[in-house]
Amino acid sequence: MFTALYFKEWREKALLFSFELGILILLLLAQPIFHQKRDIREWTAYAVLLLFFPFAALLLGAAGFESEYRQGAWAYLFSRPVRKPVIWLAKFAALLSMLAALWLIFLAAWVALPGVRELVSGTRILLGFTVESGLPWWSLWQSVFLLTLAFSLSLLHERQFNILFLALLVGLGLTAAAWAVLSSKAGGFLAWVAPSKALSIFLISQVLVALAFAAASVMTLVKSDFSQTRKQMLSFVRWVMPFLFLAIIGTAAWALLAPLRGEHYLSYLDSTGGEPYYITERGVFKYSAAANRILWLAKAKHINYFIASASGGKVAYTAFNIESRNDIAEELWVANTDGTGRKRIIGRGPRENEWPREVPIADLMMSPDGTKVAILSAHAYISQRPRERPPLWIANTDGSRLESFPDDPALFGDSAERYYHHLVTWAQDGKAVLIEKRPYGKPKAFSLWLYDLGSRTARILLDNAVTASWVSPVSPRGDCLAIKYQKSPEKPWRLALLDLKSLETTDLSKGEDRVWSQISWDKQGDRMAYFIRRAQAGGPDVYVLVVYSRAAKKTVAQKRMTTSEFSALLFWPSWTADGEKLLVLDRVANGLRVFGPDLREQGQVAFPAWMNTPAGLQVAGDQALVEDDKTDSLWRFDLGKKRWKKLY
Amino acid sequence: MSELLRIERLSKSFGHHRVLSDFELAVEAGRVYGLLGLNGEGKTTLARILMGVIPADGGTITFKGRRITFADSAFKRDFGYVPEDPFFYEEMTVQGLLDFNAHFYPRWDRKRASSDLERFALDPKSRVGTLSRGMKLKLELAVALAAAPEFLILDDPTSGLDVPTRQDFLRDIIRELSASGTTILFATHMVHELERIVERLTILHGGRLILDEDFEKVKAQYQTSLEDIFVSLVARG
Repeated sequence: MFTALYFKEWREKALLFSFELGILILLLLAQPIFHQKRDIREWTAYAVLLLFFPFAALLLGAAGFESEYRQGAWAYLFSRPVRKPVIWLAKFAALLSMLAALWLIFLAAWVALPGVRELVSGTRILLGFTVESGLPWWSLWQSVFLLTLAFSLSLLHERQFNILFLALLVGLGLTAAAWAVLSSKAGGFLAWVAPSKALSIFLISQVLVALAFAAASVMTLVKSDFSQTRKQMLSFVRWVMPFLFLAIIGTAAWALLAPLRGEHYLSYLDSTGGEPYYITERGVFKYSAAANRILWLAKAKHINYFIASASGGKVAYTAFNIESRNDIAEELWVANTDGTGRKRIIGRGPRENEWPREVPIADLMMSPDGTKVAILSAHAYISQRPRERPPLWIANTDGSRLESFPDDPALFGDSAERYYHHLVTWAQDGKAVLIEKRPYGKPKAFSLWLYDLGSRTARILLDNAVTASWVSPVSPRGDCLAIKYQKSPEKPWRLALLDLKSLETTDLSKGEDRVWSQISWDKQGDRMAYFIRRAQAGGPDVYVLVVYSRAAKKTVAQKRMTTSEFSALLFWPSWTADGEKLLVLDRVANGLRVFGPDLREQGQVAFPAWMNTPAGLQVAGDQALVEDDKTDSLWRFDLGKKRWKKLY
Repeated sequence: MSELLRIERLSKSFGHHRVLSDFELAVEAGRVYGLLGLNGEGKTTLARILMGVIPADGGTITFKGRRITFADSAFKRDFGYVPEDPFFYEEMTVQGLLDFNAHFYPRWDRKRASSDLERFALDPKSRVGTLSRGMKLKLELAVALAAAPEFLILDDPTSGLDVPTRQDFLRDIIRELSASGTTILFATHMVHELERIVERLTILHGGRLILDEDFEKVKAQYQTSLEDIFVSLVARG
């Protein structure tokens, strides 16, 4: 019976299907015919996805019960011994398969014609969601959605245009409702912070609405009088209301209960006073060695930047205050390192006009004494000249002053090229800030600048004759930086120290040794541990752990660790507070390796079986903190009691 | 004789117009029922409710001892229906329509369908939409007969038929069906047609039956033509 009804639909709608197929083929033929004219190809590809498929689906759906109305055959069909849901399903299946056939033609063209593939990939579309390469799938689902709506409504009225119009109205209404929700505070948060979840909520709502319409349509067909249009419409409304209510409940439940994929995270930020800071989706916490527990400094969901003063007295962070999708304010907060004394420096409130809200904060750096915060606005990146607003600002952490500093074209660049800037640190006396400058897309031409806050001018410290890979965090005493650099592409990576008091650089590398990893300062800021890659005559390169002493001005210890690049990539060194031990996280050995200052191995601590992907080692007091990348959890190993415990 | 169908307290309204009101009827198997009624009295509505085409507002229908509802469909395998106005899928061919119907009826008789096409001079290749009203009625009849129904509802079927076919229908087909044990409900306003075929006479007026009696008894009681009986009963209300 189902098959008979299914093929009857195919036969009845063959003309409509052929008409739609013809239009699709004509639109697709534009691709090879106009292969030289990209604009025509683009428009026809988008016309297929954004206009053809939605309207083809609407036409097919609206024609669902057309023959029963046009020929008065509904009485004939209903007097056959077949259940009405089977009639509904057979018709829907036939129409869906017609739409699928049209899609198969398009997908075949997608595979066969590189031009189509190129045009419909990597597109950002609709509703503020970034849907990479998703336009065809989006269009596919929308056409199925519209087909379901139109078909569900098609039994209500004999005039198919009315059905088509109504279905379009419902589809657009739902889209408008989604816009309205996105304009609210919660919607704004979702679209901006968790677009993948916002998209899933939108799609779930569409699925549930489509099911609500389909269910109401089936119930109307089963229960109501086809001969009385008004009664039938009222019956449909009566059925669709509770189903739509369930759809709303379902969508709300999904919005509340579904996990934020990829939104759960844990990352090491910085350390001051021997205490490491971590950022999570819930805010920032530090591990307090004194209290032997984690201490939340800022419980805010949308923290962007976080910094701590070298003295350990103050922290500053930026967070987004979302009122609605179109009203998002970036705020700068300052607090004491114990989380007390929270003060808003920039953001909503009485002084909000002082900061150019339309431009995001691009970088932050706290002065060593914690009394000032240097702020780099995203104006630094804007190539338009003259800049409307200066890129560099300094704020007092007590909230008393927010001051802008003049643009310096030499530092911030001219209109010909765009640069990336990074606040490296403050000069030790607090009278200048160091700013790293790199042109977009050019690894070479790294330069380091000193912006004098007194004279309000910038001067270059390291010229752009080198390529810098990274600049280390400032040393615990705030007096020194390490820079990994390369003089030319064929030269090895070397390490230089920049004295922040004298602003002189010292080259630490010897011979052909290549610096391999970031450095780990000891807690006094005297010794640095890092890995180098050393070439061996007649053998593979070896990876050597090196300890350099600033006091002795030389390498004081070194230990050959491995010849495997893979193993070397997974090493993380970290000093104990007393500087008597250097711990190295060794993923290949699946444990922590404990070395003395002379790099003699003193022992190993195996990772427990339940730790999936250990990464990121920090030592605070006599506790080794290890992040588990897989579960985004933080584990503590008590070096005295030899016990593991989960901290977060 | 056993009871095939029972209708109790059946009611149906269209807007404010009440068409059937507490309608009651018991149908015994194997008999020919004549349902007489003026135009608009609810004969077609009753037929459509029985066929599950439209729902009743209230009341119960029992077929072979089992209650049937609007949502049920299995009972329709035993029902045949020839409506007053032929409604088909006009794009189908005559043969296509028969093949389409064959899927729904387990007792579908292909030989009978073919012979009826010949009998009614229907071209299997003709499109249904090109047939005259009379030819469509013949096609309806052919479909209904090929399904070998136990209970056949004829809703004023002869009004569009030519004289020879009407004669053939009333004399031969109904007799043939009756002889094979098929129960027939023949609804019409053309009183004289019933006289030759009906076994039990029912008259629908004002939404309910005002007569439900064996035709022989009615004839004996009133000693006049069926047309006069019908007119006087309807006038009496």
